[in-house]
Amino acid sequence: MEKRRGKMWALMCLLLLNWVGDVSSLSVTVTDVECVYEYVLYEGDTISGNFVVVDHDIFWTSDHPGIDFIVTSPGGNTVHSLKGTSGDKFEFKAPRSGMYKFCFHNAYSTPETVAFYIHIGHIPSDHDLAKDEHLNPINVKIAKLREALESVTAEQKYLKARDTRHRHTNESTRKRVIGYTVGEYLLLVAASVLQVFYIRRLFSKSVAYNRV
Amino acid sequence: MILRSVLVLVLLVVVLSPASESLRFELQSGQTKCIAEDIKSNSMTVGKYHVVKPNEDQPLPDSHKLTVRVTSSHGNSFHSAEKVESGQFAFTAAEQGDYISCFWAAEHSPQITVTVDFDWRTGVHTKDWTNVAKKGQVNAMELELKNLFDTVQSIHEEMFYLREREEEMQELNKATTSKMFWLSFLSLFLCLSVAGLQFWHLKSFFQKKKLI
Repeated sequence: MEKRRGKMWALMCLLLLNWVGDVSSLSVTVTDVECVYEYVLYEGDTISGNFVVVDHDIFWTSDHPGIDFIVTSPGGNTVHSLKGTSGDKFEFKAPRSGMYKFCFHNAYSTPETVAFYIHIGHIPSDHDLAKDEHLNPINVKIAKLREALESVTAEQKYLKARDTRHRHTNESTRKRVIGYTVGEYLLLVAASVLQVFYIRRLFSKSVAYNRV
Repeated sequence: MILRSVLVLVLLVVVLSPASESLRFELQSGQTKCIAEDIKSNSMTVGKYHVVKPNEDQPLPDSHKLTVRVTSSHGNSFHSAEKVESGQFAFTAAEQGDYISCFWAAEHSPQITVTVDFDWRTGVHTKDWTNVAKKGQVNAMELELKNLFDTVQSIHEEMFYLREREEEMQELNKATTSKMFWLSFLSLFLCLSVAGLQFWHLKSFFQKKKLI
């Protein structure tokens, strides 16, 4: 009986200590500021993630301010910030446990869609090993393995979001190229027709006879 | 379109691979926030939501209740609830596409902020690991390793998906360049023909005017 309870307790501990917080690729249409909250259980947890501006209604010129990303700790201090980018990765250690705020700020007036992914990973340390006798050093290794896999998943999400962004860019480029070309043709035809009319007018009797 | 309305902050969750999230966001009274997820075909998805109580002891006032609706991109409704404090839904996605879950907070004269905790899992993470453990005398480590194995498989599938998307984009780029190639020939032809037409028309005009 004792052994069973011990095993169940170990399982609970394992699940608790290996608890990781994830936010899947979230897309936010940021008009001004958009914030997401995520709870960090342990101090020293690694908060990692990435974000990409996926879809923009307007074409970004070179002087576009980009999107700012600010992480605020429960105490109110800014832990991490990235300014004026179209997408980036981030990773830092949480200085304390509590509710962290992840905010996107759009300096420009047009709404932008931002896809992001946040992962909070915890690896049981030697201190936890000492505290709980049911925790095996192998659990630490498993936690490290899990974290490594999560980093691969995070990278995949980043690549996927970037792929979406590139696809949007390509489609918009294609539309614009075709549009501008057709517009160019119409302008060419219109200009030549106007030229002909003007020349005819120069030679018409009503304006001035043989003025040219 | 409502999702693109500047007044309404839209949350689009684009989950591109199996992922879990416990997301917390704030709703102002009368505001709508929608979360959309790109779910692969035949994958299980589970969602749980609840309003975070501002006061632990007191029951939640009516003003803080939510209206929730989960629809597919074709408009089929999978879950809807009016004026609830918490709830959950689960379904198997019949086809790949965007599934949207929208949250409304009812109108209230002093603007109140409703904090919603939303947990949406798809794919690998829908298996509730604590339940699986309780059922049998499953070794904790075995469970962890099984979880890792499933994660690795999902990473593998995701890589295939990314590869496919890259190929599609390559095809799109090729199509765009070939179109540009033919369009440049067309523009040359158009230019020459317009010039030729002008010349012919003006020549006949001047010959009629007996100037040549």
